[in-house]
Amino acid sequence: MALHAELDPDDVDSPPAIGAHGLVKTFGTLRAVDDVTFDLAPGRIYGLLGPNGSGKTTLIRLLTGLALPTSGWAEVLGTRMPSRPNLARIGYMTQSDGVYAALTVAENLRFFGAVYGVEGDEPVGHALEIVDLADRRSSIVGTLSGGQRRRLSLACALVHRPPVLFLDEPTVGVDPLLRVQFWAHFRALSDAGTTIVVSSHVMDEADRCDELLFVRSGKITARGTGQEIRVRAGTADLEQAFLRLGGNVEVTR
Amino acid sequence: MSRRRVVALFRRVVSEIRRDRPSLALLFIAPIVITGLVTFILRESQVPQVTAVVVNLAGPRGQAVGDALGAALRTGGATVTDVADEGVARASIADTSASVGIVLRAGAATGSALDITVITNGLDPSGDAGQVSAVQRSVLAAVTSASGTAMPVIDHTTVYGTPTDDPVTTFAPAIVAFFAYFFVYILTGVSFLRERTGGTLERLMATPVTRGEVVLGYTLGFGLFATIQVAVLMLWALGSLHVGALGPLPAFSIGLGIAANGSPILAFVVVVLLAVGAVSLGIFLSTFARTELQIIQFIPIVLAPQFLLSGVLFPVSSLPSILRPLVAIMPLNYAVDGLRQVFIRGADLGVPALQLDLVVLGIVAAFFATIAAFTIRRDVV
Repeated sequence: MALHAELDPDDVDSPPAIGAHGLVKTFGTLRAVDDVTFDLAPGRIYGLLGPNGSGKTTLIRLLTGLALPTSGWAEVLGTRMPSRPNLARIGYMTQSDGVYAALTVAENLRFFGAVYGVEGDEPVGHALEIVDLADRRSSIVGTLSGGQRRRLSLACALVHRPPVLFLDEPTVGVDPLLRVQFWAHFRALSDAGTTIVVSSHVMDEADRCDELLFVRSGKITARGTGQEIRVRAGTADLEQAFLRLGGNVEVTR
Repeated sequence: MSRRRVVALFRRVVSEIRRDRPSLALLFIAPIVITGLVTFILRESQVPQVTAVVVNLAGPRGQAVGDALGAALRTGGATVTDVADEGVARASIADTSASVGIVLRAGAATGSALDITVITNGLDPSGDAGQVSAVQRSVLAAVTSASGTAMPVIDHTTVYGTPTDDPVTTFAPAIVAFFAYFFVYILTGVSFLRERTGGTLERLMATPVTRGEVVLGYTLGFGLFATIQVAVLMLWALGSLHVGALGPLPAFSIGLGIAANGSPILAFVVVVLLAVGAVSLGIFLSTFARTELQIIQFIPIVLAPQFLLSGVLFPVSSLPSILRPLVAIMPLNYAVDGLRQVFIRGADLGVPALQLDLVVLGIVAAFFATIAAFTIRRDVV
């Protein structure tokens, strides 16, 4: 676990990259996000772990300002969300690929680059290099394989080199080899100072995160490193730990 | 509003359509084929063939009228046969060997003229009307020649344009406007629906782009194609390029050769304003659709009333008075009227009727652009 000293989350001089302050989002009687409060330090990888429908996506949408909270508020890099200018500093990889099938790989990246405010071929080439798609830059997206499309989707979220990155289940439908590559990218970005929030319901990805947040029925039920959570739950198996801590046990750091 | 982001959106929309061959065919080839077909049908429609059977039940007087009527019908190209009674006439119409039966009876009151009963098949009302009017014309001709008086000649002039028997002249502006509206609506609606359902709108909303920029980018992108479509359609409608006989090919002409009096540029402005409204309408209605089929299902609700109430098919002046207020709120009506003002009247910007059309189209475009922007909500879910 490579942590830069200057990015130490316990250092009071380092302001949080992402903050949730009593976030609540209701849809009718459903409390999709239920009073969530946390601070996430810069330069680390946070895993949002929870079953389908636990509120992970809604929580990410509240943090990015795509959805408006019923109460509470979110902030990213010290700016209260929703903030349109602040979105230029945030990358968001949606659960669906969200790329234009009729355009080429490079055209997709150039387009998202332009709306984020970066122009030219340099950012496009950089993003393609990260996801290893440089040889397909002129291919029409509709002709790409599912894994290649997923890589392009990640590249579109990276093209403006954002300091904060939200990845909503980025490895769904991705083969094991590509998954390893993805995590190597995430680690490299985090080493370079990017704060990353990854949602997943795959437990074997959890140990790759610096810190985990368990999400159940819209609440954060546990938080800590994989090791801390195992100790707290008294099991060596993270999946078991997740089941044991699925209730209201708060794991404090 | 960032110019850079609007340009990026515009270029993206243009790249997408440019690669989409079926959409390009829909935009450029379909209107040319359909207007060509409509023009051909209107100009070359057949004069109905009249095959008349005449039954004379009015003695010598009827015989004289019947002969004169028969002669007049034959002059008009009809075939005329005398038969013995009405039953025979009806039978020959039933077996389609005759198209119309004419029964001459003595007038009910003494000294009155003959009563003429016309029998038709009844299965095709508009075809029947053609048969009846052919008989009416021949009766008039027969009476005129029998009485020896000359019929007054009716001379027709118009305040705007010149009287023409080319039915396409009034029809063409309506067709041009309708196609621009129809195809731009379908393409924008489907395209924006894909943006909503494909996850790209969600992603776009997570960028600094504003709703207004999205609507403007789309309007410029589809507006460009609508503009090219209208230009092509106008060239096709107004042009008449003669191609001389080439070997075994006979001489023919490209273009419909419709007479126009006004400035094509002005006509162009009218249609582009209409098309801009259609882009926003497509974005707006895509909010209420979940599938591409539903975009098509909006056509009977949104486009069909405009087709019926904007003088495309039926003249506005012939519509029942209870429907008139609806005509006033149909955007297509103002475009059709505007194009007729330009094409037929030769109107320029100083003509109040055309000014009204342009202002209304501008307001409609701005109105739909505004509500379209509001339907692109950040808080979707």
